[in-house]
Amino acid sequence: MKSPILGEFQAPDGKPHMLGSIQRIETPMHRFNEADEVDYVIVGVGAGGGVLLQRLARAGFRVIGFDAGPFWDTERDWVSDEKGSHQLYWNDMRITAGKEPLAFGANNSGKGVGGGTVHWASFTPRLHPSDFRIHSTDGVGVDWPMPYSDLKPYYELMELELPVSGPSYYPWGDPHGYPYGPHPMGGVGDALIRGCTSLGIGVSAGGPVAILSGSRADRPHCIYRGFCIQGCKVGAKASTLITHVPDAIGNGAEIRPNCMVSRIHASAGPRVTGVTYFDPEGRERFQKAKAVVVAGYSIETPRLLLNSACPGFENGLANSSDCVGRYLMAQAGNVVLGRFEELVRMYKAPPAHALTEEFYETDPKRDFARGFAIQTVGPLPISFARQMMTAKGAWGWGLRGVMMDYNHWAAFGFLGEILPHADNRVQLAEEKDRLGIPIAKITFNLYDNDKKLIEFGKNKTMEVMWAAGAHEVVQEARYAHLVGAARMGENPETSVVDQFGRTHDIANLFICDGSVMPTQGSANPGLTIMALAARTADYLIAEGQDIFNKPRNGNIRKPPMRRDLSPPDTWGHGMPRI
Amino acid sequence: MSVQGAKADTRPIDTRTGKPIGPIAQPGYYPGFSTLSQQKFWDARTREVILDRVNNVPEIRFFSGQEASLLEAICGRVLPQDDRDKSRKIPIVAQIDKRLYEDSHDGYRYEDMPPDREAFQLGLRAVEELARHQYGRGYLEIGPREQDEILLSLHDGTPAAAHEIWKRMPVGRFWMLLVSDCVDAYYSHPWAWDEIGFGGPAYPRAYMRLEHGEAEPWESEEKRYEWKAPDSSVSGEFKPVAGQAEHLGSPGQGGTH
Repeated sequence: MKSPILGEFQAPDGKPHMLGSIQRIETPMHRFNEADEVDYVIVGVGAGGGVLLQRLARAGFRVIGFDAGPFWDTERDWVSDEKGSHQLYWNDMRITAGKEPLAFGANNSGKGVGGGTVHWASFTPRLHPSDFRIHSTDGVGVDWPMPYSDLKPYYELMELELPVSGPSYYPWGDPHGYPYGPHPMGGVGDALIRGCTSLGIGVSAGGPVAILSGSRADRPHCIYRGFCIQGCKVGAKASTLITHVPDAIGNGAEIRPNCMVSRIHASAGPRVTGVTYFDPEGRERFQKAKAVVVAGYSIETPRLLLNSACPGFENGLANSSDCVGRYLMAQAGNVVLGRFEELVRMYKAPPAHALTEEFYETDPKRDFARGFAIQTVGPLPISFARQMMTAKGAWGWGLRGVMMDYNHWAAFGFLGEILPHADNRVQLAEEKDRLGIPIAKITFNLYDNDKKLIEFGKNKTMEVMWAAGAHEVVQEARYAHLVGAARMGENPETSVVDQFGRTHDIANLFICDGSVMPTQGSANPGLTIMALAARTADYLIAEGQDIFNKPRNGNIRKPPMRRDLSPPDTWGHGMPRI
Repeated sequence: MSVQGAKADTRPIDTRTGKPIGPIAQPGYYPGFSTLSQQKFWDARTREVILDRVNNVPEIRFFSGQEASLLEAICGRVLPQDDRDKSRKIPIVAQIDKRLYEDSHDGYRYEDMPPDREAFQLGLRAVEELARHQYGRGYLEIGPREQDEILLSLHDGTPAAAHEIWKRMPVGRFWMLLVSDCVDAYYSHPWAWDEIGFGGPAYPRAYMRLEHGEAEPWESEEKRYEWKAPDSSVSGEFKPVAGQAEHLGSPGQGGTH
């Protein structure tokens, strides 16, 4: 299926294209002709799209990954600087509404190859087995169309491919261990351990995070510089940009950066035939494809499906259920800040380096379902100053004063499960972006269980901060991560895709990102998105040409696992037995 | 309310000596600490971006001259720098102007807010109206304490005038927008990092002393002194932002976990 390789990959100024401080792309990159009908177009090369692209390329499919943002050269484009990293985020306008309007941009949305994995803090806990059946056990939310055991081998695979550093025994959910050793502690991790331990709460130190604690091939170990969410110039923190995209290119995939897909075309059948996109110069173009995978995350994926409305699909593509854009979730992410007599210097070490999932599961003694995690965070000066504005109401001399104490503060992030609600949703606004594409409007509200959970979890996190020895504790309400808005399910009337990401309505249209998650637990979603993507890849590969030629069959066959498609030297190394 | 003399001392007070502090080159508890002195250990791109920020202060292109002067006075109270040498004041208005001129933003807008450019223009008009309503003079002509009182009324969500403007733009959201922009400009500057003891860029050199707040060999130990806000100011005390929990949400700090 592979054509001869055309063209050569080169950075625009002729220098080698760096992905981290050592790895460089020297592989020629295949360039497909627009007139070619490729096998797959993937819209968005982030956590989901990056993993899927790599596997489809390795399996021999002709595949193009479109990304609205740049193909980063980490040495040339990234900086160790908060303000200078603004370009990493999805900064195109969105309208945020509801009683609890969500923040976007730097808070949860990446732009450019690698997507959100470029700026994630890279905590990589798994979901718990209970997350897959919260409706059955707790009577809230909805069950997943698959059990944890179906995803478990893919979690194990991703933990090796990234790889993940952490303790060799992680006790929560389905207990397991991590292939790379835990990181050394920083001041914030020490505070979390101290606080939890004095209250008898178990705590995991040094991970799980997708940051190398030891060097591996062309990626060096972490240097503890603290700028994880500004993009890891070191190359120690995993992002699909450096873990999966190079292997995809080496196997014949094309990356088409700075290209914004504006519409997916559908024809009778129904089948999709390709995508319209704006090239880097702003010209409208069309790319033909046998199948399309949308991997734009929880805002851009529904936005693209809704913007692709056409005769026969008046409400947008794959939206016969009216679920596209609905059941959007964010996690409660209150930041709890404590001031200590002694110095902390929380800018050192990765923001993500210790956590507890002791409160993850439903506890019948509490007046709400589901639970939360408590994690370290390490805000740099601008973030911390903004937190002080809301948490303490600081401005003027008060702000100058509290900022002079920056090195005395530590910060924990509460991470709480918010349940899916139909009215938390993405719709199209009347306003258009610079390319003339209608922008997204997002509405977000909390409901009873969410409010009770946040109140309890916030107070528990503050209690841990006090127990750590802080003599002042304040907190700021906020939300972290996004998932949902194109959820998976068995019933086409109440969900958008099946468990493999195939849309119920159109046989050759797929979704492969966090938007397919029906619930979110209180685990950071990145690892789950990647595990789901690897599973979707196995399904697409097993179905082969049937995806392109045959109507959707109701048959959900579990595909064989293709561990042979992992990037080189990842599978089979260093996983401790539990 | 009487108008205080414009000559009131606006410098913070050393509480041991009772004397005003500064103006000095570097306030804060890390005297002599300089992140810029470490620039040869930074990677080339980071050095380029940060030196550009320090050396090339952008021209005013978005605001009118009048608007810029008014905003200068407001930012001088939102993030006062009266303790800093004239040559070591961190430019704030120039950075806000640059952002608005380039129409750069954080990737979202609250449904009840106008676009940022309009929000700033409305907010400036409102502050001027408040000054005339409360003190019978323009914001630039009143004393520092009166200027602070007006800003405090925005912080508290209780402005006494400009109600037409606050119908188009919730006062709390404008206040958060304004303070956030000041914060972004001030705390992105290496002189502010020196003031608070933040180590700054550390690639490719790395940090190696991660625990117990220990300083790297090239960082400074803390040398605290006690101080308080000047009597001409009301911003030294902490009060919750009015209605924050109910309506304002987060001002949008980055994805920290």
